[in-house]
Amino acid sequence: MDFRLTEEQEFFKKTVVDTIDRIVVPKSQEIDEKDEFPWETWKEFTSLGYLGLRYPEEIGGMNADKVMSMVFYEEIARGSVGFAQSVIMNILMGTYFVYRFGSDAIKERCLYPAMRGEKISTMCFTEDQSGSDLGATRTTAVKDGDGWRINGTKMWITNGPICNFCTVLATSDASKGLKGLNFFLVEEGTPGFSSGQIIHKLGCRGTVTGELVFDNVWVPNENLLGEELGKGVYYVGDILDEVRLMTGAMALGIAKGAYAEALEFSKKRVAFGQHIGNYQLIREKIAEMDTLMNAARLMINYGAWLLENNMDCRVVAAEAKMYATEVCLKVVDELTRIYGANAFAYEYTPQRYFRDARFLLYGGGTHEVLKDFIGRTIIGKL
Amino acid sequence: MNILVCIKQVADTEARILLKSDKKSLEIENKYNMNFFDEFAVEEAIRVKSKIKDSQITVCTYGTKKAVEALRSAIAMGADRAFLLDNTDLDNDDPLITSKILANFAKQEGFDLIFCGRQAIDDENANIGAMIAEWLGIPHVSAVLKFDIIDEKKVRVESEIEGGKETLEVQLPALFTTQKGINEPRVPLITGVMKAMKASIAPVDPSTLGGLSKELLDMTASKISVLTYETPNGRPAVKIVDGETPGEKVKSLINILKEEAKAL
Repeated sequence: MDFRLTEEQEFFKKTVVDTIDRIVVPKSQEIDEKDEFPWETWKEFTSLGYLGLRYPEEIGGMNADKVMSMVFYEEIARGSVGFAQSVIMNILMGTYFVYRFGSDAIKERCLYPAMRGEKISTMCFTEDQSGSDLGATRTTAVKDGDGWRINGTKMWITNGPICNFCTVLATSDASKGLKGLNFFLVEEGTPGFSSGQIIHKLGCRGTVTGELVFDNVWVPNENLLGEELGKGVYYVGDILDEVRLMTGAMALGIAKGAYAEALEFSKKRVAFGQHIGNYQLIREKIAEMDTLMNAARLMINYGAWLLENNMDCRVVAAEAKMYATEVCLKVVDELTRIYGANAFAYEYTPQRYFRDARFLLYGGGTHEVLKDFIGRTIIGKL
Repeated sequence: MNILVCIKQVADTEARILLKSDKKSLEIENKYNMNFFDEFAVEEAIRVKSKIKDSQITVCTYGTKKAVEALRSAIAMGADRAFLLDNTDLDNDDPLITSKILANFAKQEGFDLIFCGRQAIDDENANIGAMIAEWLGIPHVSAVLKFDIIDEKKVRVESEIEGGKETLEVQLPALFTTQKGINEPRVPLITGVMKAMKASIAPVDPSTLGGLSKELLDMTASKISVLTYETPNGRPAVKIVDGETPGEKVKSLINILKEEAKAL
């Protein structure tokens, strides 16, 4: 069993690490402190072409395999989680359904500019009463002539307030629950489509998250993204495993950054006449962090391998997301303990890792929901 | 214009380097990069190509198979072709031999302009570029800070000298070593990264290059031998000054400087 990355993957990883170190890392503190969308960094970074990471070369993408994709997600999260969220939204969730189901005209208007960073995309699932429970979606889509009329409000939408287009989940038949859900494309400037309240978050600052309002928004038939009505949730399954693994990879990225800080501090900080790295309890922390991260990495890589080879990875993806997130939370906690009181100060980075890591508990599925899903899948119907 | 860039793969500045027990060899963590100053050389070659159409950039290195990675980085930036002059079987780092091999490669490939980095950050010899130029019988200018093309046969350069800068007009073909500040090396586009990933870089056996004697390529040919390595003195431990406010920290620092460092 060869655990090594291929020569191509190694080179890609090296290049990505270097790129993130040059462009994103120097801006990470400023992005967090200002909590404003970093337009200049966005322009500089997206001009390199990484937003086309997972799309075919024929349309200007890179056709990256799943392992390379996970490497990218990990490294950009290591650089700046706030920035990473916006980038990854454009790479994956915000554009996938447009890529899969959009007409040529829609792709010209939305997908290709999004791949170049010229347009910002998002995906709208969550509402105030429905997060994990998609069946409780209240945003409606009613057939109206040659199109659909959409009404509802979405919450917690990454890139929402600044997006140029979004893929919104709406029900065309509430009586059918999950089987009544569909995706629709709504573009900036469509009458009735507006952004609402911006959410000021504990972490992942720099990415703008907020409410999107759909007030009698009419879209033409071609904006229904899907081959059949009622298949919205079914289509989500196309990318759900990747989204979960991606979240796990982001967790690894945050952990990697936090761990590097912990290691460096352990080698520099002196207490009672010697470097704290010489003390057994600090060594224990480092040992534990490294062990947990290695285990998480193996799970993410395994999940990516399964996904790349079109093998069932629903359980592994959910487990990997969960495990990597819990590892990340442990690692950032230990970092703050190693740093001591300085971890409590905004001028040092541990507090940023600590705050940023929390969002992982919600994105990609809460662990309570994931555990139930994993158990249900393994045990089956009784 | 035929532009040749000679690069070197070196250990990352943050790679762990340990002295082996014989004190004659090093154990280096497996983290390598293109030499810092060579990035400026590759970047400058790309800028020249953007001004003179129909130019071709060839990048080469004399190193082990691992050095292919550095060549890929150059392709990702924008180099057209890459060659590894494989020294796996020779494994010496003698600048005289290295420069002769690179010079013979240059002669074989043909060139109008050669760029090298000012020095390698591992050995800091800063002599390969000049030696290549001497082997080839062409002019060279070191530590170039500014490079302007007058026409396809002449360039104007500004180079760093002790206490100032020197401006020179140089007839091509010539060799230039690049100093930090000449440009800002570009971050590769994803299209460059993809091209680099797919690039086929076959190793070249230096013995197939014309004009190199068997003696030169022999393992024992080097006139330099490492006697010992010594580690530099360790840096003193970093002390983080205590205090909840800047004012308190300043007071702590003054106290430390007075009582511990006896500097005040």
